[in-house]
Amino acid sequence: MVRYIIRRLLQMIPVVLGTTFLIYTMVFGLGDPAKGRCGERPCPPAYIAKFNAEYNLDKPLVLQYLLYLGKLVHGNLGVNFYGNDVSQELTTRYPITIKLTIIAILFELVVGIAAGVLAGIRKNGFLDNLVLVSTLLVVSIPVFVIGALAQMVFGVKLQWFPVTSTQGTLGQLILPGLVLGSLSVAYVARLTRTSLVENLRADYVRTARAKGLSRGRTVGVHTLRNSLIPVITYVGADVGALMGGAIVTERIFNINGIGNFIYQSIYNHDGQSVVGAVTVLVLVFLLINLIVDILYGVLDPRIASD
Amino acid sequence: MTDTAEEVSRIGSRWQPGPDGLLLDVRDLQVEFRTREGVAKAINGVDFDLYEGQTLAILGESGSGKSVTAQAIMGILDSPPGFVTGGTVEYCGTDLLKLPESRRRTVRGPEISMIFQDALSALNPVFPVGWQIAEMFRKHRGMNRSDAMREAVRLMERVQIPGAQQRAKAYPHQFSGGMRQRIMIAMAIALDPAILIADEPTTALDVTVQAQIMQLLADLQDERKMGLILITHDLGVVADVADRIAVMYAGRIVEQADVFDLYANPGHPYTKGLLESIPRVDLKGQELSAIGGLPPNLLAIPPGCPFHPRCRYAQDVCKDGAPPPLREVGRNRYAACHFAEDVLREGAHQ
Repeated sequence: MVRYIIRRLLQMIPVVLGTTFLIYTMVFGLGDPAKGRCGERPCPPAYIAKFNAEYNLDKPLVLQYLLYLGKLVHGNLGVNFYGNDVSQELTTRYPITIKLTIIAILFELVVGIAAGVLAGIRKNGFLDNLVLVSTLLVVSIPVFVIGALAQMVFGVKLQWFPVTSTQGTLGQLILPGLVLGSLSVAYVARLTRTSLVENLRADYVRTARAKGLSRGRTVGVHTLRNSLIPVITYVGADVGALMGGAIVTERIFNINGIGNFIYQSIYNHDGQSVVGAVTVLVLVFLLINLIVDILYGVLDPRIASD
Repeated sequence: MTDTAEEVSRIGSRWQPGPDGLLLDVRDLQVEFRTREGVAKAINGVDFDLYEGQTLAILGESGSGKSVTAQAIMGILDSPPGFVTGGTVEYCGTDLLKLPESRRRTVRGPEISMIFQDALSALNPVFPVGWQIAEMFRKHRGMNRSDAMREAVRLMERVQIPGAQQRAKAYPHQFSGGMRQRIMIAMAIALDPAILIADEPTTALDVTVQAQIMQLLADLQDERKMGLILITHDLGVVADVADRIAVMYAGRIVEQADVFDLYANPGHPYTKGLLESIPRVDLKGQELSAIGGLPPNLLAIPPGCPFHPRCRYAQDVCKDGAPPPLREVGRNRYAACHFAEDVLREGAHQ
């Protein structure tokens, strides 16, 4: 197991190098970051020279990147174009994105799996059709429509939830979390249902019945554990994606999380912040995937022993 | 769970076989599968009985209804599409088909248990094998985890799994095919059932391992006086271990006899065809005899005797009306053929 983890960590190095180099090149190599810094008028040459020197932009691209990398290994993401420490900016926003992710994932797991199980144990029954139709509906509506609609109905009209979530408290994040998880909840429900229906036909389920086990135990212990293997794969990838911030949802509810930060940074041509944030996202995504893969082995022993 | 307590309280009252040792009495069992294409009549009136210590082999091609019979006795038919539409399955004098599911469940495992063809898919891939055996003791006897695990290890030792103590923590995929089938057997005999149904227990195994597994089953049966129902399509497997044979065709028993009588002289053309299709060393070089045609489609079983399209004895009488009933054609032997006497006489001359 330890060797497996070490091997996986080593595999991450080329991925991190590749992605950070690509993002660095795209942000700093394909255009002049100093352009448009002074509003309508062109910037004075002295300002441009100082700006370029400060951010190493006067050096060749590869050298720039290596200098950036040098700081990165010390955990230093540099200072953005507004003179703020990028690490600092991310640290204040990450807890909000993490809270939002947790709400969305819990929603996916609890509601998605429950709906999938209810649908799967009575295939073609009323609940099955209800789940299939409602998830199809959710899947076909874009998230910005669901988000705006939820804000309108539950925030403005019914006033069950705050309309915006500027402070990022847990209470404020519930509605955005549900919106964020809504699409995946539908996928999790369908995945659980299909997987359960398939596994209920498996030979080991027949064995469980031949052992005289109750239906609850046959489904809840013997079948569910096997059925959840593909679901956990999906949810695992989703955690990684959600930890990258939800640009649309965070914009709709005005949440000060990572997604919004990236949006603002791109909008303001703040290359330093964009590169820093994306670098962290890549690392987080890779680490979460590693954790999910390790958990996966716990769920399915056939994988762990390989 | 509440049903555990209920099951524990019933341990004292074990089922008692009849005075002659009669365990199982199946009468006119009928099963159909209601599918989109129509109703498949999988079992059409099956009768047999099973006594303590007896081995009954149910022989037949795939689709003849032998596995469905076993599943109907166990009460583990996939329903829908499978439905028991008639008959009785009396275990120790009680018709299992009339029991509510909650009581039926207390029969599965402690009284009648079953092993399957492919142990790799029949064992749950995500739980250790010891856990899966121990589950029998935990759920039916209310034992705690550690006691149940100790019992599981003891059983694994009984079915000759080397290093049982450590291997109990391993998962099914970490065992060889033969060892996996031993684990299935350990699980099935855990609660000392009166009847063990083995559904093609050796089909997925190679020949040397087949012999070991059959030997293990025979030993366990001797040791525990179990009634054993051995379902197979392999005539070779049957000959050594079975006392009695029931040959199935299109959901009916077409011949039933003691194993020696049946092998010596079959009383049904189908059985005769099966026996002739076994490769024999002394007939090396000659063309292997095979039964022509295909087994009938269960959605449209031919009228009359279902075997008549493939039968070389078939006459007009075989082609219409009800299928010939299973009738006594000799001492303790039965065949469902209008010309059983002719078949027997012909065999006796050879």
